Amino acid sequence: MRKLFEDCITILSWFAGLLLITALLFLVAYLVYRGGSSLNVSLIFGETAALDALLLKRQVFDGIFPAIAGTLLLIIGSMFIAIPVGIAGGIYMAEYCSGAIKSLFNLLFDILAGVPSIIIGLAGLLLTIFLNRHFQGQIATCLLVSCLSLALLVLPYLIRTTQTALETVDPVIRKTAPVLGASRLQNITLVLLPNAISDIISGIMLATGRCAEDTAVIMLTGAVATAGVPHSIFGQYEALPFYIYYISSQYNGPDELAQGFGAAIILLILCTGLLISALWIQRRLTTMLLYR
Amino acid sequence: MTHRAYSVSEHLFLAAAVISGLLTVAVFCFLFLFGLPLLQSGQLTDLLFSPWAPAKGLYGIYPMLKTSLLLALLSMAIAFPISLGCSFIITSLAPVRLRGFLLAVIRVMTGIPTVVYSFAALFLLVPLMRNLIGHGTGMTILTATPVLAMVIAPTMILFFVNSFTRVSTAYTLATDALGGSETQKLLYVILPQAWPGVVNGVLLGFGRAMGDTMVSLMLAGNSIGVPESVTESARTLTAHIALVMAFDFDSMEFKSVFVCGLFLYILTAVLMMLFRMSTAYFSGRK
Amino acid sequence: MRKTIYSVSLSLLTATLLLFFASWSLASDDLSSFAEQKGVLRIAGGTAHIPVMKEAAKQIINFNPKIQISIAGGGSGLGIKQAGEGMVDIGNAGRKASEKEINKYNLKLLKWAVDGVGTVVHPKNNVQSLTSAQLQDIYSGKVNNWNEVGGVNREINLYTRDEASGTRKVFWKKALAKGDISVKANVVVSNGAMKTAVAGDPFAIGFVSVGHIDSSVTPLTLDGVTPTLDTVRSGEYKVSRGLYSLTKGEASGLSKLFLDFIMSPTGQKIVADKGFIPVR
Repeated sequence: MRKLFEDCITILSWFAGLLLITALLFLVAYLVYRGGSSLNVSLIFGETAALDALLLKRQVFDGIFPAIAGTLLLIIGSMFIAIPVGIAGGIYMAEYCSGAIKSLFNLLFDILAGVPSIIIGLAGLLLTIFLNRHFQGQIATCLLVSCLSLALLVLPYLIRTTQTALETVDPVIRKTAPVLGASRLQNITLVLLPNAISDIISGIMLATGRCAEDTAVIMLTGAVATAGVPHSIFGQYEALPFYIYYISSQYNGPDELAQGFGAAIILLILCTGLLISALWIQRRLTTMLLYR
Repeated sequence: MTHRAYSVSEHLFLAAAVISGLLTVAVFCFLFLFGLPLLQSGQLTDLLFSPWAPAKGLYGIYPMLKTSLLLALLSMAIAFPISLGCSFIITSLAPVRLRGFLLAVIRVMTGIPTVVYSFAALFLLVPLMRNLIGHGTGMTILTATPVLAMVIAPTMILFFVNSFTRVSTAYTLATDALGGSETQKLLYVILPQAWPGVVNGVLLGFGRAMGDTMVSLMLAGNSIGVPESVTESARTLTAHIALVMAFDFDSMEFKSVFVCGLFLYILTAVLMMLFRMSTAYFSGRK
Repeated sequence: MRKTIYSVSLSLLTATLLLFFASWSLASDDLSSFAEQKGVLRIAGGTAHIPVMKEAAKQIINFNPKIQISIAGGGSGLGIKQAGEGMVDIGNAGRKASEKEINKYNLKLLKWAVDGVGTVVHPKNNVQSLTSAQLQDIYSGKVNNWNEVGGVNREINLYTRDEASGTRKVFWKKALAKGDISVKANVVVSNGAMKTAVAGDPFAIGFVSVGHIDSSVTPLTLDGVTPTLDTVRSGEYKVSRGLYSLTKGEASGLSKLFLDFIMSPTGQKIVADKGFIPVR
């Protein structure tokens, strides 16, 4: 009887694994099937010459170049804000914090990590409205607001990754420099951080992937369907995930739909590429026990 | 703790952590401030339990609440067994070489954008559902369920695997020495030991399922009625926020969005506290 | 004989070339006001306006790449609100802003096209016409099977727009006579989305701007009148509305140039090309 139960569990587990992997393969295959034909230069640049578009001399109207540019700008902008704050916060949590305050911060950051992304977007929108009321007519939803909101979204991940990376440094290494007379700060910057750097970088890459793929936040804070490449951080912009969402609900004919699939493939490649490089960097320091 | 004065950089570290913590609280405050008029004017029970009919002055979020809960619970019902099964395979059942590969595949899956899942499902699942159900547009809660399950499963799997591998080798080796099979080891040794991790994983997965926007926005139809069955078009709290954001900021409709936001925020906070409490409870029991 | 042919063809050629140069210079005349400009123009609001806005923006930007024009949807309600709050430079609306809205924000309206709102179904649907009463019953949910109005035995899939939509407001007021819209209706967020949804669902019914109607959907005859450009223009089709652009106060700077461009011959030609009725 018990043997039967155990065998069922074994079979069902394998079935579960198979189901998941099959679903994944099916999904990717379907995307490639529908969008593969549209993966060419005109998907990105439409009718505009590639060089002109890249040098921002002419705007692209039928291609996804503005969306790709927008996503890249988003990633750069939000990482620019999030990385210093995240790493600094993580250093504080790992090295200078203890006791009740640490529990409190831990709880707050857990909450921030768990809050749905659309709430972060809503907060960004509220901030815009709030500022707009006070600086009449000058602030509106734009690239800056989106970058700030995305930075807030990935901040807890960066803090948590830095904290964990620093805390798992070998105690022997941690104690060596102070014994030789280094200050706490010198220990952190010259010994601990370099030691933990691969985990931190892998965390940064994961956060970058999160920024690239998020739709809910940018939908509320400045992504629009048509904007070209923004001329300043106060301009509205296009983004790949928003483009995919937009096309999914309104496409004029099979060509536009194939473009949507092409964009989905590109976004997929971008995000999984970032993730795979994060894993590869982290593998240099395999601390997790994978095999039993 | 040293008693010397902190240098500038160290003050900066503190500032960074404090700012981040404050921002978390600030989000809550923003939501609360902007939602206050609606909370004050309508009774809380009214808001939570009446339907959404702005033309009649009803700003209740009950339909959205019901939909979010239904969708989250259903997708957890699918995702939990699948995640458990997959984590069983990755931890023990698969040959050693396959484990690393499977784990890598699952980790890559966590990076796939939800909008990409939804986009593919829109053209794959929706017509299928339309034919299966026989009537309706095919955009229903049931359509969104498997996609949402696929979104939350990888994270849960990673979480489960993490807790399974932390079980002390003393136990696992002992089981092997006694001649136990892999499945027996999993069921009777690892699972009971790693149960806190499983509980936490479920909490996280549920939070993620309640908080996802794109899957339900693109696949569940977004009608404003209270769903009587899962084969109906419906709108979740998150989709409601996304759809209504285009409104007049001063209108009551827009303010209902803050109530949704407040609810989701508080739900997250409660889940996180449950998370901590369960960790403390289980480690206390040891 | 040969001489006649030569002279006729020469004059035809000259005429064509002259016409070409005339229209080209006319176009560049309308655009030339953008020559020395640079800056950002933010447009948001009604989704029916978007094709015209996109084409106008394309021509302007191709002429002068230093200008950035961003166009968002969101519905007429959003357009009015955001123009009033100063969050966008030009707000588009598919319904006339109310007195309250105009006074609150000091809005100036410009009507640059006439459009209608037509009921549409999937091309394979054999139901081709309805009476107003039938339409109201369908949308309120009293009638929920196609066979009650002469179609197949399948449930009617209702599609409606979000509440910020001007298209919806006009449809509700004029076609549904302010009747109820069932809570079971699927909500889509723009005219384009409505068209895509109905084109993809054989048992759908929805409403969309007449200018957006193309071969992927079939317009329904309502009380004997089919929503086409001609019936809207002649007033025979009653469910019509203007396409407006709003600015806070008098338009100035890039906004003024843009709106002037829309009202210019080139701009009005774009309006006509996209399927609307130009006001000039």
